[in-house]
Amino acid sequence: MSHRNIKPAGLQRRTVVQALAAVPAALALPGIARAQGAPVRIGYTMARTGPWTTGAQVSQEPNYLLWAEQQNAAGGLNVKGAKRPIELISSDDRSDIETVVRTYEKLMGSDKVDLILPPWGSNANFAVAPLANRFGYPFVAPTALSRRLVEMKLPYFFLMLQQPKSMMDALVDMLKANGAKSMAVVYVDDLFGLENYAALKVALAGSGISIVEDKSYPLGVKDLSPVLRSMKDKNPDAFVGLTYPPDTILVSRQSKEIGFNPKFFYASVGTAFQLYRNVMQAGAEGVLGMGSWNGKTSPGAKAYFDAHVKKFGAAKEPDRWASGATWASLEILTAAVAKAGLDKKAIRDFIAGTEHNTILGKVKFAGSENVGTPGSVGQWQKGEFEVVWPKAIATAPLVAAKPTWV
Amino acid sequence: MSFGSWLELIASGLITGGVYALVALGLNLQYGLMRILNIAHGEFLMVGAFITWTAQSALGLSPLLMVPVSFALLMVLGLAIHRLVFRRLTRTSPTLDIFEARGLMVSFGLMFLVQNFAQLIWGGDLRGYDYLADPVKVGDAQFAANKLLLLALALAISAGLIVFLRNTLYGKGVRALMQSPTGAQLVGIDTERLHPLMFGIGLGLSGVAGCLLSMTYTISPSMGQPYTVTALIVITLGGFGSMGGALAGGLALGVIEAVGMHFTNPSLKSLLSYGIFIAVLLWRPNGLFARR
Repeated sequence: MSHRNIKPAGLQRRTVVQALAAVPAALALPGIARAQGAPVRIGYTMARTGPWTTGAQVSQEPNYLLWAEQQNAAGGLNVKGAKRPIELISSDDRSDIETVVRTYEKLMGSDKVDLILPPWGSNANFAVAPLANRFGYPFVAPTALSRRLVEMKLPYFFLMLQQPKSMMDALVDMLKANGAKSMAVVYVDDLFGLENYAALKVALAGSGISIVEDKSYPLGVKDLSPVLRSMKDKNPDAFVGLTYPPDTILVSRQSKEIGFNPKFFYASVGTAFQLYRNVMQAGAEGVLGMGSWNGKTSPGAKAYFDAHVKKFGAAKEPDRWASGATWASLEILTAAVAKAGLDKKAIRDFIAGTEHNTILGKVKFAGSENVGTPGSVGQWQKGEFEVVWPKAIATAPLVAAKPTWV
Repeated sequence: MSFGSWLELIASGLITGGVYALVALGLNLQYGLMRILNIAHGEFLMVGAFITWTAQSALGLSPLLMVPVSFALLMVLGLAIHRLVFRRLTRTSPTLDIFEARGLMVSFGLMFLVQNFAQLIWGGDLRGYDYLADPVKVGDAQFAANKLLLLALALAISAGLIVFLRNTLYGKGVRALMQSPTGAQLVGIDTERLHPLMFGIGLGLSGVAGCLLSMTYTISPSMGQPYTVTALIVITLGGFGSMGGALAGGLALGVIEAVGMHFTNPSLKSLLSYGIFIAVLLWRPNGLFARR
């Protein structure tokens, strides 16, 4: 970034980046001065520029800032009974894996921060997880979704989001129970899309639902209407898009344009964002997607939602999927530090061996995987993204046929 | 495939191609006339898109009104950038080749600067708004109104620019400069005036493309770069410095991509565009439409 060259030498890059980030997100840590004791230094990198920014700045970093502010306002983080202020040491990773790895190496290796928080996205977590494991830092990742991460069997690594299998099982289960017989699929051709697509195919086996057409697409695609048109001609009961935020909006807009109106319309990451409702407006009604909580899920979830909106404004609501997971991961970390102090091994053992109460409900880990939160499906209903499947955690009943786009 | 589906497919290609053409025309003005290979060109498209989004969401202005406004704002920005950077470079570079190499480096720097400024002002979030998104029926086919508007405006503005360059004295000066810079200066064409103006118009076109794109797609600070790359492919197709070629090349690339995606797979889109790019460079290095 060009500003590095023009700043006085005495000013650290970290400080500059923090100051930059603070402009949109209000002041990061107003509570520091009030808390007592030596600060607990917590390091992370986050995408503030580049293609990951959208996800990182909706689902992840706002929660870190809110958490630190809340803890410090309450006198500091409870470290085995002693209240100590939180100092966040963060920088922009520019959506670049190399930068992520180098920065975490520095944070853990030479800065020796007390704790680290994960970066955004499956790819970055994939790169950092083995490193964190080597340095023995517990690592509870809120925005990583990959079977391969689980299979690496890293003892210090924990995944909050439901994995492809449970998400796709829930989706197929719901479609089957509501009489869908045919499906068209588009999926992004990276780790996320490929793993979910593979899980979807496994889930579909023996379900009586057939795939009438499936197409992959590259990240950053600008136009999917040629594909959607041919899907429209085949008239499937369900459309499933294993998509990222820009593409989630792209397939929705273009389906509306060409009048592609399947009974079930499902898109993945980004459907649970407030942006989706802003862009699609009334057209969002009935659209399905990856979502696992909202303000009705628990009293804690409601309090979190309200605090988030209070800090960042009504124009920046938490998303109804990964934001909840990020907050839950911070709840788990808070509880672990209260119990085990800053002994990293003890924190790890606490996280691995305890059933945690979070805003998402009970969370517990088998290996790296969160097996406490079931796979789920969300749906836009009258301006709120409701959890509609499975029925045990639903916040509203499913509307089984999506109204035509408006 | 029915006639309606074909119509939809070709039209969706033309719509994408219209934007390609607009961006490519601007880049072509800069490269064809001044040998500035402006890698930051797409970033100004992003700025145009964000200005439109801000005007629409904060002030409630119609995006349509923002078409001339973003053109004007970006043009002024272009004039300023030319004055601050490229004028000085022209004066200090001993030869045109050295100027071209330095200009390339400078525009790389500009790309990062503009992207980070946008990040600072608007943040990294994905943005979008709803404008004329209702479908319109044309025979058997169906399109979003904003897409049709986008195509119509892109074609009109491109055609307007081509007519301007063909029929006005300014245009004649520009074309003369493209054919022979030294000869043009010998007969009294004022490069000191024409260069900044054309650089400004180039950026203005990029701003208009961004304004039009924001009506139909979501926008983010990283949206510009792919368009720079596509514009490079398009001006290679159409021939460096050829305005008609850039328009035809843009529309053709849009249609080729749409048909290619329909019959194969969107994942193969880049393969298709770059394949064409390499083939043209190998076999028709002066562009598909060059008269030899």
